[in-house]
Amino acid sequence: MLLQVRDIHTYYGLSHILFGVSLEVDKGECVCLVGRNGAGKTTTLKSIIGLAPPKRGVVAWRGQPINGRAPHWIAQQGIGFVPEERAIFPNLTVWENLDVARKPSTTGEVRWTVERIYDLFPRLKERSNQLGGTLSGGEQQMLTIARTLMGNPELVLLDEPSEGLAPLIVELIGELVAQIKAEGMTILLSEQNLRFALRLSERAYIIDDGKIQFSGTTQELQNNPELVEKYLAVH
Amino acid sequence: MRQLWQRWQALPAVLQTLVFALVFALLGLGMTDFQLSLVSEMLIAALFALSLNLIMGYGGMVHFGHAAFYGLGGYTVAILTLRYGVPTWLAMGLAPFVAALGAVIIGWFCVRRVRLYFSILTLAFGQLLYTVVFQAADFTGGDNGLLGIPKLPFINSEADFYYFTLVVFFVCFFVIRLLVNSPFVLVLRATRENAERAQFVGVNVRRHQLIVFVIGAFFAGVSGAMIAEHNSLVAVDMFFWATSSEPILGSLLGGMYSLVGPAIGGALLIYLEVTITRFTLYWPLVLGILTVFIVLVAPSGLVGLVRRWLGQSVAEDSA
Repeated sequence: MLLQVRDIHTYYGLSHILFGVSLEVDKGECVCLVGRNGAGKTTTLKSIIGLAPPKRGVVAWRGQPINGRAPHWIAQQGIGFVPEERAIFPNLTVWENLDVARKPSTTGEVRWTVERIYDLFPRLKERSNQLGGTLSGGEQQMLTIARTLMGNPELVLLDEPSEGLAPLIVELIGELVAQIKAEGMTILLSEQNLRFALRLSERAYIIDDGKIQFSGTTQELQNNPELVEKYLAVH
Repeated sequence: MRQLWQRWQALPAVLQTLVFALVFALLGLGMTDFQLSLVSEMLIAALFALSLNLIMGYGGMVHFGHAAFYGLGGYTVAILTLRYGVPTWLAMGLAPFVAALGAVIIGWFCVRRVRLYFSILTLAFGQLLYTVVFQAADFTGGDNGLLGIPKLPFINSEADFYYFTLVVFFVCFFVIRLLVNSPFVLVLRATRENAERAQFVGVNVRRHQLIVFVIGAFFAGVSGAMIAEHNSLVAVDMFFWATSSEPILGSLLGGMYSLVGPAIGGALLIYLEVTITRFTLYWPLVLGILTVFIVLVAPSGLVGLVRRWLGQSVAEDSA
């Protein structure tokens, strides 16, 4: 198992956010973590990357516990994080944004170069010398994903890539994620947009109130409308 | 004008630096001793401001204790030559390394905190060193400073020192320029923009900050050693926090987010100080008004004004 999250409890200050979340991601899988706003999706991803270290429980990467390590160390082990707030460096150019993140994988392999990234994201190539802050929301989302790939990670944590984007752009981002997945990338995708998430993933976890409420294949989830109604529908 | 500018920018870095150095070298031929001494001091102040700007401009770490490294540089020269009879050239060679070592120790603590806390820590360490140097009068000369630092063997006139300063300044300038355009400083700028984002991209933010802190201190040590040699003396004021504010004001005046801005600003302040104190004793008043004016009217400094005039983006960092 590439990534194992076992019974983690995470707090922001005094507020208890995650109540024993467990999940697993195997190599080559695309797994989604779906749930409503405030269910704990982002906190789960931040617990894995070390930005919100869990107080209890274990995050194991290739069998070794990594919880409590610094985020940069965890990132260097091959976990890439794409946060939902389009976390680019606004005063660096697009090219500089990519260059900053350049690193080989843990095995020394360089699968993703600027050229390959530009093939996949022609829009970014056009804007190569533009400052990151001048890009549109969708372009910034692409840049964040592209920057993460530059680090040649083995697992990408994608936090709500469709959030706040126009439907056409969401389509485009979906296609890009599908292409990255087709390259053999392992992905843990957090989403509110169920349609978007199910189209890309093989397995799904439903999170609600900081607890995992369902775990199974996307097929099982789709055949279970009560689950969707109970945990995902917006009333 | 713009075309000329573009052609200039297309020149290789070494050539640009050499052109600047040549201009100064030619200017030196027609200067009086007073002017030679003044321009030497301006170049040393420019280097001091450049060294701070690595930390403050490119690293985004507002640093109120840079005088510590300037002072360490100067006092290393003074103490080694006067107390231990070390040859001046060797003492001057060692000075930047002593300053850098001081920065490793001080920086190790300071980079553990960010923003205001970082700034206050640097100020605290700076004043701590000041007090130690002030009190340890038997060793450091205390309030009297240390006088009579021997000249370098090849320096027999103001002009000799001027050309020596030129060489030191432009070598340092060229190295800093290389650094500013290096991947290291690119990553540093990313940490300045957003330290958390830099972290999950895989950047060890603290380590980068410590490294640039030490590099900045190294060059501050060079300028401290140069001014000690220029004046043949060191005074405890070198460590005082007001000395730390000089390169900060210089960076503001010249333009913090550029390579040459702080150098121009730092040099200009020395020039203004020397010229204005000839007419009035109220130089600090003029300095205060100037500072208010810059912050309100031209927050990106003189370089920002020029860039606006050339139609370039003000935020552009690289030289």
